[in-house]
Parts: sequence; structure tokens; C-alpha cells
Amino acid sequence: MTKINMTVNGRAVSAEAEDRTLLVEFLRSGLNLTGTHVGCDTSQCGACLVHVNGEAVKSCTMLAAEAEGAEVTTIEGMANADGSLSTIQAAFQEHHGLQCGFCTPGMVMSAAALLKDNPKPSEAEVRDYLEGNICRCTGYHNIVKAIMAASGQLDAIAAE
Amino acid sequence: MTYFLPQKLDDALELIQDGSAKLVAGGTDFYPAMQKGQAMGRIVDLSRLGDMQGVTKDGDGWRIGGATTWTELIAAPLPPAFDGLKQAACTIGSVQIQNAATLAGNLCNASPAADGVPALLTLDASVELASVRGRRILPLGEFITGVRQTRIAADEILSAILVPALPDHAVGRFEKLGSRRYLVISITMVAAVIGVGPDGLINFARLAVGACSAVAKRQPALEAALIGQRPQTVEVTPDDLTGLSPITDMRGDAEFRLIAAARQSTRAIQNRERS
Ligand SMILES: Cc1cc2nc3c(=O)[nH]c(=O)nc-3n(C[C@H](O)[C@H](O)[C@H](O)COP(=O)(O)OP(=O)(O)OC[C@H]3O[C@@H](n4cnc5c(N)ncnc54)[C@H](O)[C@@H]3O)c2cc1C
Ligand code: FES
Ligand code: FES
Repeated sequence: MTKINMTVNGRAVSAEAEDRTLLVEFLRSGLNLTGTHVGCDTSQCGACLVHVNGEAVKSCTMLAAEAEGAEVTTIEGMANADGSLSTIQAAFQEHHGLQCGFCTPGMVMSAAALLKDNPKPSEAEVRDYLEGNICRCTGYHNIVKAIMAASGQLDAIAAE
Repeated sequence: MTYFLPQKLDDALELIQDGSAKLVAGGTDFYPAMQKGQAMGRIVDLSRLGDMQGVTKDGDGWRIGGATTWTELIAAPLPPAFDGLKQAACTIGSVQIQNAATLAGNLCNASPAADGVPALLTLDASVELASVRGRRILPLGEFITGVRQTRIAADEILSAILVPALPDHAVGRFEKLGSRRYLVISITMVAAVIGVGPDGLINFARLAVGACSAVAKRQPALEAALIGQRPQTVEVTPDDLTGLSPITDMRGDAEFRLIAAARQSTRAIQNRERS
């Protein structure tokens, strides 16, 4: 067991974990942040997506110890300070960007990473960027629509 | 297991000098290959080695640090000869994979379908291997010896990928065939670096085919035959490709792979302008 320290959603946290603990297990079991999901064991689905030092990574493909000292943001850190939904989250709700919701935390985290680097992506860029996030329910259309809406470009998709 | 996160290459080399440790960089080959309940032993994580990061000019050539991720490579300002390597980088898994995964990991994992290998072969890349015993440099073509086999010793770290200077007019291209667009293992892939003179004729040509042999193969005969040709009229046939022994599996049979590789070669050569 090792003590692992990191900042999660702006809060300094520290918990004992076995060295072999994956970041996703550390978040889910160690810190009870169960919004980050595990959808596969091949690093493909993206349900476990979090931001580590600002970069989108798959938390199932990283040991917790590797994130020692890092700034981690999970879906639980995405809402506004007053608890209301962030622009991206609200757009997912408004545009029906989810059905079962399993992929949604990863989709929202991916969308946030995309819009940080590219605030006005084209629809093609959104679809391209979501290559590492798999959704079994929605057919992606409404997810893309929600992200376009969150970037203030609903017209772009409505016109198409 | 014990897990080490050294910050300096020399510290990492000391940690692995008895040859018993496992190395992990981005972990994108390492973790998916782990089996449930498997003991992990001693792990040395290379992702924070400050002296192995980034792409730098090295004399006339380039030095790609052994911990450089695909995302860092894509963002690096590099001459057009690197375009093929960058196009390959954009096809490795997905953005999140590219953010974590390293070029060195792709080479050390030595999969026949590793997308980085053909492009680095066309750049005449070498690898620098470091250990407490010193450093040695091997051409990439000699470093990878077979399916998941390389010449690296248990106490060595791939500290850099070295690319010699390339002519300014040479442009890199990469063609990947998968069963879908994203997150896909290559059925075949072709990388080329082509230079065309003021007369419109090819005066510089390098081409490598991947996933059609245990290790991706440069095509010296084809490269020589391309010199003096007009790129738009080049048609590569399977007979022009040498040293390949594609397998038949659920992704495609051997004959299909050869035809596909020839078509990709044609496309890579014809389509050499930067888009
Ligand atoms: C979902 C998914 C999709 C993928 N898609 C593709 C794809 O399209 N194309 C493709 O080519 N690959 C793909 N891969 C494989 C993988 O992402 C790449 O091969 C990647 O470049 C590996 O780099 P890494 O840093 O993650 O390696 P790791 O997994 O950390 O390491 C791989 C191996 O190399 C060794 N190693 C790593 N760095 C060094 C070093 N500096 N010195 C010595 N040994 C070292 C490790 O010990 C290990 O044996 C995919 C993987 C996943 C999970
Ligand atoms: S659980 Fe991490 S990618 Fe599927
Ligand atoms: S909403 Fe069900 S997996 Fe995406």
C-alpha cells in the first residue's frame, strides 16, 4: 500500500491504495467518485475518460500512482460552482444527447477537452474527436448536436 | 508490485540495471495486455523523464525523445518529410490514446501492425538505447527483429529516436487500411517520402509497407524504379513489392493484402502534394 496524493476536481485528496490500483479504481472505490465508468477492458470505449493535467486520458489505462501530484478532473467536477449544470451538460440534457447514460460522463469530458482547444469545431471535427468514445445507444447524432449547441453553433447542424 | 516514477533518465537506468523491472510509458499496449490477477512485479514508469521529452533539432537531423507522445509529435513544427509520420500519429487509436502513448512504446512493442514503424523506416530513423553500461545506436530496421521482438536488452531504455536530415522538398505520406475509420488495427499500411524535382520527375523516393510481414519492409527496388518517373503516372502492382509474406486472417487474406498494399503505394506516391 502506498499513500497517493493528487488534486481531484480542485480538492487535494490523499488515500492509501495498492500500487497496482488503476486511476479509475482509485477514483471510484477510493474516492467514491463513481461518475467515471468502466465500459471495456481494452482501452477503447472512453467511458472512463478524465482530464489529467488538462489532457483527456483514459483512466483505465493509467495507474493511480502515475497521477501522483497531478490535477485530475472528473465528471463530478464539471458542474458550475452553484451546482447547476455546465453549458455542455445542459446541452446534453436539452438535446437528448444520452439514452442509458453509460457513455455520457466520458462524452462530456471529451467534449470539454475538445472545446477547450477548439471552441468552434465543425461537425466533422466533433465526430472526429469523439473517435475514442463509444456509445451503444444514441447513434451519436444527438451527442454531436449537443456539442455543437454547447459551442454556440446549433445553426450549423440545424442547417444540414 | 513496486512502482517507480523517476524524473531523470540516469535514475531510471539505475532502477533497471539488474534487468528485472518492467517498463511502462503511456501504458496503452502494456495495460490492455495484462491479465486479471497477473503479478506485476517491479514497474518503472518512463512518462516523467524530463530529459526524454519532446522533439528537438540535433545537428542537421532531429531527435525525438524516448518519452514523446504522439500528440506532442503532431504538435511539433517539423519539415514536410515528417507529414507521413504525423498522419500515422493521427490514426493511432484515438485522441486520448495519442495523448498518453509514445512513439518509443510503439517501436518496443514491435507489433507487425504498429503504425509508426513504416513511416519511421522511410525517415531512415535509428534508435538510441541507453543503459548504465552506456549508449548505442541501431538503425530501426535492425532494432525490430520479429513479431514483438527487438534487440533491446533488459537493462536498456529507448532514450531517443534519431532522424537524419531530409531534403526540404521531400514530402511524407501515410495510407492506412482498416475495417473502419477509427480505433482500428491496420490491415495494411504504406508510408512514403517522395521528392519531385522542378522538372516534375521524382528524384527522391522512400517507401515502406507495414502489416504484410513480421516487420514492416522498405522497398528498395521500387524506390530505385521510381526515380525519374512522373508521380501521376506511377501504378504500383503487387509484383513491384518485395520481401512481403502477408498472413491470411479474419481481416483479409494474403492476396487481398498485397493488392491493397500496391494500391496504397500508388496513392501515397501520386498524392504527394500537401493538402
Ligand atoms: C484503444 C487502443 C487503440 C490503439 N490503436 C493503435 C493504432 O491504431 N495503431 C498502432 O500502431 N497502435 C495502436 N495501439 C497500440 C499503442 O497505443 C501504441 O503501440 C503506442 O504507441 C504504445 O505506446 P505506449 O507509450 O503506450 O507504450 P507502453 O504500453 O507503455 O509500452 C509498450 C511496450 O514498450 C516498452 N517501452 C515503452 N517505452 C519504452 C522505452 N522508452 N524504452 C524501452 N521500452 C519501452 C514497454 O515496456 C512495453 O513493453 C492502440 C492501443 C489502444 C489501447
Ligand atoms: S473503460 Fe477505459 S476505455 Fe473503456
Ligand atoms: S447513451 Fe447509452 S451508451 Fe451512450
